[in-house]
Amino acid sequence: MTRDGNSRVVITGLGSVSALGLDTDRFWTAVKTGQSGIAPLQGFADAALKIKLGAQVKGFDAAAHFSSRDLPLLDRYSQFALMACREAIGQAGLEPAVLHDAAAVIGTGCGGKETDEITYAHLYKEQKSRAHPFTIPKGMPSAAASQVSMQLSIAGPVFTVSSACSSANHAIAQAALLIRAGVVEVAIAGGTDAPFTYGLLKAWEALRVVSTDNCRPFSADRSGLVLGEGAGMVVLESERHARRRGASILARLAGSGMTADAGHITDPSADGAARAIRAALKDAAIDAQSVEYVNAHGTGTLANDRTETEALHRVFGTHAKALMVSSTKAMHGHALGASGGLEFIATVLALREGIIPPTINFTGPGEGCDLDYVPNVARERKIRVAISNSFAFGGLNAVQVLQAI
Amino acid sequence: MAMDIETIVKTAIANQKMIDVESISLMTSLQDLGVTSLDAITIVYEVEEICDIEVPNDELENLRTVQDIVTGVQSLLAKKVQV
Repeated sequence: MTRDGNSRVVITGLGSVSALGLDTDRFWTAVKTGQSGIAPLQGFADAALKIKLGAQVKGFDAAAHFSSRDLPLLDRYSQFALMACREAIGQAGLEPAVLHDAAAVIGTGCGGKETDEITYAHLYKEQKSRAHPFTIPKGMPSAAASQVSMQLSIAGPVFTVSSACSSANHAIAQAALLIRAGVVEVAIAGGTDAPFTYGLLKAWEALRVVSTDNCRPFSADRSGLVLGEGAGMVVLESERHARRRGASILARLAGSGMTADAGHITDPSADGAARAIRAALKDAAIDAQSVEYVNAHGTGTLANDRTETEALHRVFGTHAKALMVSSTKAMHGHALGASGGLEFIATVLALREGIIPPTINFTGPGEGCDLDYVPNVARERKIRVAISNSFAFGGLNAVQVLQAI
Repeated sequence: MAMDIETIVKTAIANQKMIDVESISLMTSLQDLGVTSLDAITIVYEVEEICDIEVPNDELENLRTVQDIVTGVQSLLAKKVQV
C-alpha cells in the first residue's frame, strides 16, 4: 500500500524530561555515550523501602518552569508532560493557529499518583476529614492532557491513553491514526509518568520485579527493572503539511502495530509481541529483512527479555541475528507510561544521526538471549529502518516502525 | 501461632487457586497446581503477613513444591527466633 503525502506521518519535534536530563540534547548525549541516570533513591527514608535505586529526574525546580498561579494544579506527571511538549513544539516551530487545531494524545500508566497519595495520607494517616479540592483535577489520569491543552492552547482532539508500559506507544499510534484519517494535520503525542511515590513504590516492591542492584537487560545476571520517571513527547504531522510549511523533518513514522496477548495479567507472551511487530511492519508495508535496529522493551526482568528475544526470532527468522537490539532502559530506567516516548525519541535520533544506542551494564547473554544487544558501547551505523517495542503488563503491545528521511 | 506452617501455606495456596485445601499435599508440585509467578508472590505475601517474615526474592525462584514453601518459611521463622 502506498500512502500519499496526506496520510504519510512524519516527526518534526522531540521533547523529553528524564533522569538523563531536562531536555532532549542532554538525553541523547547521555544515551549515545552510555551514561546511566540510575542512582540511589532520593526522598525516602532508607529503611522504609527495599527498592534502593531509581532513575529520578534530577535538578528539576518546578517553580523555575511554571508560574505560582499554575503550579498548585500541576501534579509532577503533568509538569513533565508540559516540559516535554513545550520542547517538542518549540523544535517543530508550530504557529498558534496550527496548534489550535492540533490533537494531543498523552499516555500515562499511573496518572497523578503523588496528588492521590498526599490526599490519602491526609485522610487515612492523619485522620483528617476533608480532601483538598484540587485532588481530582490535579490527580486525574487525564489531568496532564488537559494541562497540555490549556497551557499550549491545543484545542483539537485531546485525550489520555493508558496501557501501562505501552501507554506512550499506544498514544503515538492513536495520534498517527488521527492524522492518517484526516481528522487533524498535526498532533503531539507521547507519555508521561512520575511513579516515585511511597505507596506506588511499595506496590512495585510487592511484584518482586524491581532490581535491588542495577538494570542489566538481556544479561545472564539480570535481576529486574529499575523504575524511572519523566516524559517523552513528539510532534507528528502529515508529510504534506510539514513540507508545505517548510518544517525540518526528523524521520517518518512508517507504521504502528497493536495487539493484545489475551493471556495473563503479568506474564508476557512471545506470540502477542510477535504479532504486534508483524502488524507494525504490515502497516508500514516494510519487509522484515529491511529492519536494522530494534529499540527493545528490554526491561531487565527475567520474563520480558527472554520472551522479547523469542518474539524477535519468530518474526525475523534468520535475519534476527543481523539485527542490532538495544534497551535504553538501563540508562533512563523504566519510566512506565513515558518509556515508549523516550525510546521513540532515541530511535528517531538513532536514524537521524547514525548512532545505535547501547545496552549498558551488559555482562554477558542470559539464557534464551542470543542476539546482538549492542553491548555497553554505542555503534556508529547509518540505518534506514528501525522499530521501537512496548509490551505492557496485561499483555498490551504496541510497536512503531520508523524510517529515515 | 494458631495454625501450623503447613496449614498456613496450604490454605494460602487453596485461597489463591480457589481449590480445596484437602487436595494439596506437601509433595504437590506448584506447576501441577497451575501456580503462575503472580500466584507465587501472592501466596508468599499471604504467608509473610501471617507469619511476620520477609521472604527474599531469590528464594522464590527455587520453589517447586508445597514442601519447598513450608521448609523455607520454617527456616525463616527459625532465624527470626534466633534474632
